[in-house]
Amino acid sequence: MTLLVTLGFFVALIVVVIAIVAGIYNRLVRLRNRFKNAFAQIDVQLKRRYDLIPNLVETAKGYMKHERETLDAVIQARNQASSAASAAASNPGDPEAMQSLMGAETALTGTLGRLFALAEAYPDLKANQNMSQLMEELTSTENKVGFSRQAYNDAVTSYNTACQTFPNVLLAGTFGFKQANLFEIEEPEERETVKVSFT
Amino acid sequence: MDFFASQDVARRNTRRLVVLFALAVVFIVVAVNIAAGLIFQGASAKLDLDTGQGHFNPQLAIAVTVATLAVILIGSLYKIASLREGGAAVARLMGGRPVDPNTDDPNERRLLNVVEEMAIASGAPVPEVFVLDEEKAINAFAAGNTSVDAIVAVSAGCLEQLTRDELQGVIAHEFSHIINGDMRLNLRLMGILHGILVIALIGSWVLYSMRFSGGIRRGGKKEGGGLGMAILLFALALLVVGWIGVFFGRLIKSGVSRQREYLADSSGVQFTRNPLGLAGALKRIGGFVRGSKLESKNAEQASHLFFCNGLRKNMSGFLATHPPLTERIRRLDPHWDGELPQIDEAAAAGRAEVSAAGLAPLAPLAAPAAPSGQRTSARRLDPRRIVERIGDPSEQHLAYSARLLAALPQSLKRRVHEPLAARAVVFGLLLDPSPEVRRRQLQYLRASTDGVTYSETLAVLPLLEASPAAARLPLIDLTVPALRTLSPRQYAEFQTDVEALIAADDRISLFEFALQHILIRHLEPRFGRPPQASIRHHRLERLEEECAVLLSALAYAGASDDSEAQEAFSEGSRRLGRPLELRSREQAALSAVDQALRELAGSAPLLKAKILEAAVATVIADREITFAEGELLRAIADALDCPMPPFLPGQEIAA
Repeated sequence: MTLLVTLGFFVALIVVVIAIVAGIYNRLVRLRNRFKNAFAQIDVQLKRRYDLIPNLVETAKGYMKHERETLDAVIQARNQASSAASAAASNPGDPEAMQSLMGAETALTGTLGRLFALAEAYPDLKANQNMSQLMEELTSTENKVGFSRQAYNDAVTSYNTACQTFPNVLLAGTFGFKQANLFEIEEPEERETVKVSFT
Repeated sequence: MDFFASQDVARRNTRRLVVLFALAVVFIVVAVNIAAGLIFQGASAKLDLDTGQGHFNPQLAIAVTVATLAVILIGSLYKIASLREGGAAVARLMGGRPVDPNTDDPNERRLLNVVEEMAIASGAPVPEVFVLDEEKAINAFAAGNTSVDAIVAVSAGCLEQLTRDELQGVIAHEFSHIINGDMRLNLRLMGILHGILVIALIGSWVLYSMRFSGGIRRGGKKEGGGLGMAILLFALALLVVGWIGVFFGRLIKSGVSRQREYLADSSGVQFTRNPLGLAGALKRIGGFVRGSKLESKNAEQASHLFFCNGLRKNMSGFLATHPPLTERIRRLDPHWDGELPQIDEAAAAGRAEVSAAGLAPLAPLAAPAAPSGQRTSARRLDPRRIVERIGDPSEQHLAYSARLLAALPQSLKRRVHEPLAARAVVFGLLLDPSPEVRRRQLQYLRASTDGVTYSETLAVLPLLEASPAAARLPLIDLTVPALRTLSPRQYAEFQTDVEALIAADDRISLFEFALQHILIRHLEPRFGRPPQASIRHHRLERLEEECAVLLSALAYAGASDDSEAQEAFSEGSRRLGRPLELRSREQAALSAVDQALRELAGSAPLLKAKILEAAVATVIADREITFAEGELLRAIADALDCPMPPFLPGQEIAA
């Protein structure tokens, strides 16, 4: 009699354990989805940024006829960042993808900074309405990227913490939950006004 | 049937279902016992052919019964717990991806615009919108415990193939579910029925794992082989028993959902006054080779939530969760000739391109943009009529909502969809007209937030000036989807900022109260505790204090002196049918109203109707509804989870 009753309760116990494990799994899935969605929002803003740049370069080309190098560098950096962003969008949080995106973004910000610094020496360009509008939109988009990045990093931190705490840490590995990477951009160099000297 | 009565009916349906469910559990326990008895005693038990009695082992029976009940109970509780979060849990279960409020994709943008229009027209919060990317068929569903944690999910097929009108019809149908409170019942069903389905799951799981160990066993001892065989058979039996569960599950679900689908169809049509839109969508489903069939393996669990039958087997009769497609089309389009458009995969793919290009802008209506500062007045205002509007938006409200949205500057609309700028919009709305207070508020913003937020707020101000005043509260509704994407830390900072801006002038205005209440209530499911859907109060006697506070606050809000307030209060009290006393201004401060509303939110639907009627009576005691009073009424209705459509300017609300 007792053997069978014990068997019955044993089954119930197993079901409870399964329910708990399922609960942990679901929570990790929920947190992972959260940071993936947060990345999708960064992606929207990044795409807008990349879409603005060719227009900017075209406008600048008309005025900065002798700055081919810088302009080409901007376009190249932009293309690289764009493909890095697509790669990261399909696998948000993946260390490799995130690293290459961060690198590409830093490079892009660097070349853009050089372009703006150079543009200071071309007053006609600065007066151009299209140019100033584009620059403003670009700045605005960068701000929005920064804000979404905060949200993404917050989400990644909660996910990573959840993966590392007990008892989740026991299961995270088995279920294939890996640590995700934060999205951090090094501060761009100060955009100093270039003093053009003709000597 | 009106909003409150239908909520009541939904509750009563639950009781009937619980009975059916108990019956199903009994059947299952008996069946599992028989299976266990036959299998595990198979070798030793002999059917006594003379007496026709089986070898009954009470100990085995008890053990099996306890185990089965435990499994069912735990299965149900687990599911109910995992659904407590609300609609988003179901969306995830079905493989849904949340649509970014900021999206550039034209199909998604169109979907979000349709949802926003309907939310504002019906007075319901803007639900989170999901897309089921993997589902190429045409289907949709709405899920949630209350209207604040509700979501609407749409299949990729819907996005790609439906015209704007058809999409609007489908979304109107889903909004009816949200407004009529069907969702809560459906969600509860999912939880409860999961316990029954779990048995089939266990059976299939055991079978699956046996497939690997079965081969090894064959060479084992006779006893060991016998046990393995027994377990295999038991698993098979569990699978069979599980099917009993599924059968009962479908029976229960169909009992509830079939009628509701017709109701939702007709409510949706009432809303849009465009039956051909919804009929068009249904016809497309009928003609499309994939129809509305879902790929997800979780489709069975949520089958009753969907717009159209999503399962492979089209059960007919009393097991069907949805009424027959042709019947639904006929009710909407009596002149239908029975022809269905033939759409195969290739044609469907082609449509996706066409659809994207056809982003028809809303036809601007002849009437001018909504005037600002309007008052709604009428000779004979009737609170009952106003309350009847709840949950019953009409095509006039939809047209008004479309006009209102069209009157907003494009750059403002862009801003509300983006988290950083959405915060700035809220801050902009909170800036006081008086220059002294405004200076203080701006100083706070400059100090506590980053420079970007500060400049965005300044940039938003002229846009707000260019918008109609009637758009103030709807703008708050529109910012909610973007604010949901904030991280918890960002949200906490945002809350602090909002409170600081409100406190800048040391008083809370009605608008500030409404804003804060609506914002927090709509964002709470995402950042705090999921809302309580339970009903705690069935009798008005327990709620006298709360009602008195609420009516007093309303009386003071619309009155210029205490005697007017007393008059208004008496009107309300009379309407409520209880002798209440006007509270002092301190006692009826807005913080007390906040508390009172929380309590009142837990009252039964029919009680809420009475309370709202009394509230409206208090407000219209002076024969007109000012703007501020209208906003406050909407905030109160929102707090009680009753979607109140906007007051139409110059509307006659006479009996």
